Amino acid sequence: MVFSSVNFLFAFLPALLVCYFAVPRRCRAIRNGVLLIFSLAFYACGGPKLLGLMLASIVVNYCGGRLSAPGKKCRKTCMVLTVVVNLGLLGYYKYANFFMENLFLLGLPVAIPNITLPIGVSFFTFQGMSYALDVYRGNAEAEKNPFRVALYIALFPQLVAGPIVRYTTVAGEIADRRESLSESGSGAVRFCQGLAKKMLLANALGQIADAAFGAGTLLTTSMAWLGAMAYTGQIYFDFSGYSDMAIGLGRVFGFHFLENFNYPYVSRSATEFWRRWHISLSTWFRDYVYIPLGGNRCGRRRQVRNILTVWLLTGMWHGAAWNFILWGLYYGLLLLGEKFLWGGILEKAPGVLRHLYALLLIVLGWTLFRSESLAGVGAMVAALFGSAPAGLWSGETLYYLSEFRWELLLAIPASLPVGVWVRGALERRERGGSRPASAALILGPRVLALGLFGLSVLSLLGSSFNPFIYFRF
Amino acid sequence: MKKIADIALLLCLAAVLFAVPALTLVKTAHNTVSYYENRSLTEQPELTAENFWSGEYFNDWDAWYADHVPGRTTLLALGTAIQMDIMGKTVVNDVIVTQDVLLPFLRYGTWDTGIYTDKAVPIADGLQCLSDYVEGYGGTFLFVGLPEQSNYFWDKYPHELDNRRWNATAADAAFYGALEERDVPYLDMGAVYDREGRPDEYYSSVDHHFTYYGAFAAYQAVMDELNRTGINAPVLSKSDLNFRELPNPYLGSRNRKLYDLWPNSEHAVIAEPKSPIPFTRTDNGQTVEATVYVLPATNTQRTNYDLYMGGDQAETVIETNRPDLPDVLIVGDSFTDALETLFYASFDEMRSLDLRYYTEKTLPEYLADYHPDVVLCVRDDTAFYTATGNGAVWN
Repeated sequence: MVFSSVNFLFAFLPALLVCYFAVPRRCRAIRNGVLLIFSLAFYACGGPKLLGLMLASIVVNYCGGRLSAPGKKCRKTCMVLTVVVNLGLLGYYKYANFFMENLFLLGLPVAIPNITLPIGVSFFTFQGMSYALDVYRGNAEAEKNPFRVALYIALFPQLVAGPIVRYTTVAGEIADRRESLSESGSGAVRFCQGLAKKMLLANALGQIADAAFGAGTLLTTSMAWLGAMAYTGQIYFDFSGYSDMAIGLGRVFGFHFLENFNYPYVSRSATEFWRRWHISLSTWFRDYVYIPLGGNRCGRRRQVRNILTVWLLTGMWHGAAWNFILWGLYYGLLLLGEKFLWGGILEKAPGVLRHLYALLLIVLGWTLFRSESLAGVGAMVAALFGSAPAGLWSGETLYYLSEFRWELLLAIPASLPVGVWVRGALERRERGGSRPASAALILGPRVLALGLFGLSVLSLLGSSFNPFIYFRF
Repeated sequence: MKKIADIALLLCLAAVLFAVPALTLVKTAHNTVSYYENRSLTEQPELTAENFWSGEYFNDWDAWYADHVPGRTTLLALGTAIQMDIMGKTVVNDVIVTQDVLLPFLRYGTWDTGIYTDKAVPIADGLQCLSDYVEGYGGTFLFVGLPEQSNYFWDKYPHELDNRRWNATAADAAFYGALEERDVPYLDMGAVYDREGRPDEYYSSVDHHFTYYGAFAAYQAVMDELNRTGINAPVLSKSDLNFRELPNPYLGSRNRKLYDLWPNSEHAVIAEPKSPIPFTRTDNGQTVEATVYVLPATNTQRTNYDLYMGGDQAETVIETNRPDLPDVLIVGDSFTDALETLFYASFDEMRSLDLRYYTEKTLPEYLADYHPDVVLCVRDDTAFYTATGNGAVWN
C-alpha cells in the first residue's frame, strides 16, 4: 500500500485513527498492539506471501538483540550470525537474480531465478540490523518484549521507504509517548506537504523524465537536460515527500523520527550533498560500515578503501544493477576528489560557482541512477554533452517546458528552504509585535496544508498509477 | 489561537478522511460506467487464493475505490478545470486544447513508415476479394476513405506538438497504393476535401467526426463517382434540403474528455429533403420509427454525433419503395451514420452494416443473400490498418 492511494487515505488511515484513539492513552500496550496489527496489515497489502519475510526479520533481530547484549556468552558470534542472516535474506531477495544473470552473461550454465523483491526489504533489514548492532555495542538495551521490537521494525510510516529509524531514536517512545493535539496538527501539516510533493510535483516532473529517458532515437540535447533536471526534481520530491509523510504520520501517533533531508539541492559540494540527502542512510553507513572499517582515522590508502567500500555498498543498496553500482562509485570518487584533490580549490571558489558545480554533478549522478542500463547511461550522458541522436533541440522540449511550466517553476522554491526563510521573517516581525505576522505563522501552514491536500486528492483521483521510486529499494 | 487552528485543521481533514468511506458505504447504487471518460468503471474484485496471496486483491480494491469515490465526476471535472483554466495547460486529459479546435494528443514517437506497404497487403487483398465479388454479380463497389478529424486539421496542431503528418501521409499513400495495384475502386475524400479548400466547417471542432456539411460533401462526391460508373441515382443538392442547426449544445467526443468545459459554439446540423421521401426503417430485424435523427427532447439537452441514425447499429435497413432506383449496402464504423441520413434518399433500399456488432452472417453471405447494386465500404484513415470489425470484410 502506498500513502498516495485511495485505500490508504480513505480506508486504512481512518480505520487506524478510530481503532488507535478509541483505546485510552493509559493502555499503551494495547495502542501499540493496534499499531502493530495495522502495520503488519499495511505490509501484507503488498502481498501477504512476503509477510513471512518481515516476521522472520523481526524474530531474527529480536533473538539477535537478546543474545548479543553485553554480558551474554558468545554474544559476538550471535551478533555476527544476526548480521549474516539479515544480509543473507537481503542478498537472496535482492541480489540473487542480478548475480545469476551476470554469471549467465559470462557464459556459465546457471538458471536465473525468478525472485520477487519484497517492498521495503532494504529499509527494514537495515533497521533490524541497526537494532542488533546497537544492542551489541551497548548503545541500546536489549528489548525483552518481542512486540516492541516488532513494532519498531514494522511501524508502518517508515516501513517501506524509510527513513531508516534507529532503535535508540524511538525506543523510549515505543514504551511511553504522548500523542497531543499540537503534535497531531504539525504532523498533519507535514503529511499534507509530503503528499503534495508527491502528487503535484514528483508525478508531473516524472512525466518529463520518463519522456526523456524513454526517447530513444528522438532524444535531443535539450530534452536530455530537461529530463535529467526533471528527474532531479522528481526523485527529491518523491522521496522527501514520502519522508515528510512518514515523519508527519509518526507525529500523529506520538513518534519523532529524525529528518531525512535537509534541502540537498542547496549543497555546494558532493560531500555536502550527502550530508543533506537521505541522511538516515548515509549516517547508517557511516556508523555501521565506515567507522568500523577505520573511518578517516587511518592512512590515506585505507581511507580511500573505506570510502570506496561505503559507496560501492551505497550504490548496491539502491538496486541490484550495474548503473547503481556505477552511481555509487561515481559518488565515491567525487568524495575522494573533494577530500584529497580539489576540495581546497572548491572551498575558495565563489558560492555561485560551488552551487553550480554541485548541481551539475548531482544532475549527472541522477542520470546514472535513472538510466536502466549501462548503454542507457552512455546514450544519456552523450546526449547531455551534445551528441544526441536527434540533434540539439526539438519541439518536444518546448512542449514539456510549456506544459509543465508551473510545476517546473514551483519546483525551484519547493526545493529551497523558502519556507524556513519566510518563517524566520515572520517570526522576527512577530517578535516586534506584528499581529498579522503572528496570524500568518499560525494560519499560513494550516491553510496551505488543507489546500495542498485538496489538490493532491484531485490529482490522486485523476491518476491511476503513482508508485514511489524508493519502494523498489 | 494555535490550538483552535490545530483543531480546525484536524477537523477539516478528519471530515474528508471519514466522509469519503462513510458516503461510499451508504451509497447503494454504484455507477458502472464513467460517461465522460467513456469507459466501464472497475468492478468489485473477487477474492481468490491467488490474488490474495500476491496482493493483487488489495490493488484491485484500490482501483475499485478510486473509481467509486462519491462525487468523483465532479472532482475530476474540477481537476480538469484547474488544469485548463488556471494552469493553462495545452494538453488536458490527452486532448490538445487550442484556440479553435480540440485535437487528440499524439505522443512523440518515430517508426519506419515502410511497414505500411506490408501491412496494407492483407487488408487490400480482402477489399479486392469483396470488390471482385460485387462486380462478379454485376454490382458496383467503392471504397471511401475519409480523413479523421485529427488528420483533417493536421495544420491546426501547435507547432511544438507532433501531428504525425509524416505517419498519416505515408500510411494513406501505402493504403491507396495497394488498392490501386489491385484495381479496387476507391475515393480518397482527403483529396476531395483538399480540392474544395479544406473548409473548417466540414469537420467538428469538438468531435473526431466530420460535421454534417463534411458528410454532405462526402455524400455528393460518392454519388458523383457512382454516377460516373453508370449508376443512375438521384443526387441531393443543397437546394433540395432544408438544413437546420439544432439549438442544443453539441458535446463531441473530445470535449467529453474535458467534461464539456471547453467553451464552444458548435451545434449539430441536420437536413431534411424539401420533398419528403417516405420510408420504413428496420434496425437489427426490428421495425423502428421512420426517422434518421434521434433528437433530444428539449432544446437544452446536449447532443452528440450519435443523433445521426441514433448511433451505431449492427444492421439498419431503410426501404423507400422506389423500385426504379438501385439498392445500396454501406459497411463501416460511425462515420457512416451521418452519411446514411443522406444516402437513403438516393436509393430504393439502403442497408448498412457495422461489422463490429453484426455477427449473424459473414459479409459474403450477406451479399449473396441481397446482391445490392452498390456496395460502399467507408473507413476513416485512422482505421485503415485495423484488421478486425469493419476492416475484416472478407474473413
